[in-house]
Amino acid sequence: MTEIPRETRVLDAVVSLVDSLLDDFDVVDLLTSLTEHCARLLDVASAGLLLANPGRHLHLMAATSEQTRDLEVFQLQADQGPCLDCYATGQPVSVCDVQTETQRWPRFVAAATDAGFASVHAVPMRAAGTVLGALGLFGTRVGVLNDADLCVAQTLAHIACVAILQEHAPTPEIVLPHLQAAQSSRVVVEQAKGFLHERLGVSVEDAFALLRRYARTHDDHLTAVSRRLITEPDARSAILAAMRQMAASPS
Amino acid sequence: MTIQEQLLAEVGGHRGVGAADRLCQACVSVLDVDAAGISLVFDGTNTGTLGASGAPARMYDELQFTFGEGPCLDSVTQRAPVLVVDLTDRADLRWPAYRPAMLAHDIRGVYAMPIVVAGQYIGALDLFNAHPGSLGTDQLAGALVAAQLAELPFLDLMAGDLQAAITDPDSDAWAELNTLSRAEVSQATGMLVAQLEIQPAAALVRLRAHAYTTGRSATDVARDILDRRLHLEAH
Repeated sequence: MTEIPRETRVLDAVVSLVDSLLDDFDVVDLLTSLTEHCARLLDVASAGLLLANPGRHLHLMAATSEQTRDLEVFQLQADQGPCLDCYATGQPVSVCDVQTETQRWPRFVAAATDAGFASVHAVPMRAAGTVLGALGLFGTRVGVLNDADLCVAQTLAHIACVAILQEHAPTPEIVLPHLQAAQSSRVVVEQAKGFLHERLGVSVEDAFALLRRYARTHDDHLTAVSRRLITEPDARSAILAAMRQMAASPS
Repeated sequence: MTIQEQLLAEVGGHRGVGAADRLCQACVSVLDVDAAGISLVFDGTNTGTLGASGAPARMYDELQFTFGEGPCLDSVTQRAPVLVVDLTDRADLRWPAYRPAMLAHDIRGVYAMPIVVAGQYIGALDLFNAHPGSLGTDQLAGALVAAQLAELPFLDLMAGDLQAAITDPDSDAWAELNTLSRAEVSQATGMLVAQLEIQPAAALVRLRAHAYTTGRSATDVARDILDRRLHLEAH
């Protein structure tokens, strides 16, 4: 049997998860499938997902197996382990051999070894500048997660964030007004391009590039900048001055 | 027939401000609601009722201006529909004056869809029901289509000198709206905002007026503005 390339398997997983997001879905069910995809794609024995409540206490949301479930719950009880560190720092944690970490997490290493795990990794779930939780990955063999693995894990963790934040499947009541809003956003961005074409004497294409660059540099939305430019005369001179400077300097 | 076609058929060849009333009447018959109104909250000078399905709807609509609060005003500030399933819901603390006034007129469901012209939220289409309850998917979709159609009476209202053109029975409302939201028309509108120091809706009205009076399409006029072959003066 020819092996399906990993790229294809990753894309298949992403497509199937995103498909569920666009339809009626259950958040626990979806997150459980996500941990299953993780385990299959990343060459780890199991995966689990810890989510913080508003009081910043972590809770287990989903896991591929009871073993993982036990280990995740154990981390919470023992108040130590890779998922907790990952949640606290917002950074990925990767331990290719748990035996090297007996100092850092003495109780966790003992429990992991008992459960038959040799390597542990965790990637953060982040949204709106807040760490929401961590995705834990547990291997029965000693081994590292390479950059590609880490990227796959992080992508799946991002999808988990979207699933949690969205939770309810889109209904026509939500979708239809969004279409109207999207249309008016596009109109406003086109207007802003014309506005800059006139005021700065740049082409509409360059005007669009400037708008995007300005929005990114100022950590703002393209539509919000466009709307200010078009409807708020008082806001214009500052934005135009910054854009003139941008136009003069190469990107 | 799609809801859009049904609404357009009801409005018929009517254009101009008269079309606003027809559109509201079409909402009542096609979307199966008790009353409908179109309110404007544009720049303070054009504030009021643009169209209504009848005298009661006009009164419901005007109540929000009397009290300075209501779902229609909220839908413009929030740039989203405001759907009130039942005004008797005590958990809902919005509109302390508007709510009892509407209940006194036996209206319990109010649904407001924003009307957007040239990217500006300039008003709302308001649907009223005596019975509480959510709008169905088709009703909601139809209401959003009607809100989009309401752009035309607004544009007509803003341009007083277009009486000849807007009573043309052959004009196709939907086709015109699609043209007016094309990229080059929006870009030219933005140029006019910069040149004439006016709001985008007013700039679109100016562009459309020029297209009408010269018998050209809005896209042709837009291209000439973008290429600086045409420079429009303020009114």
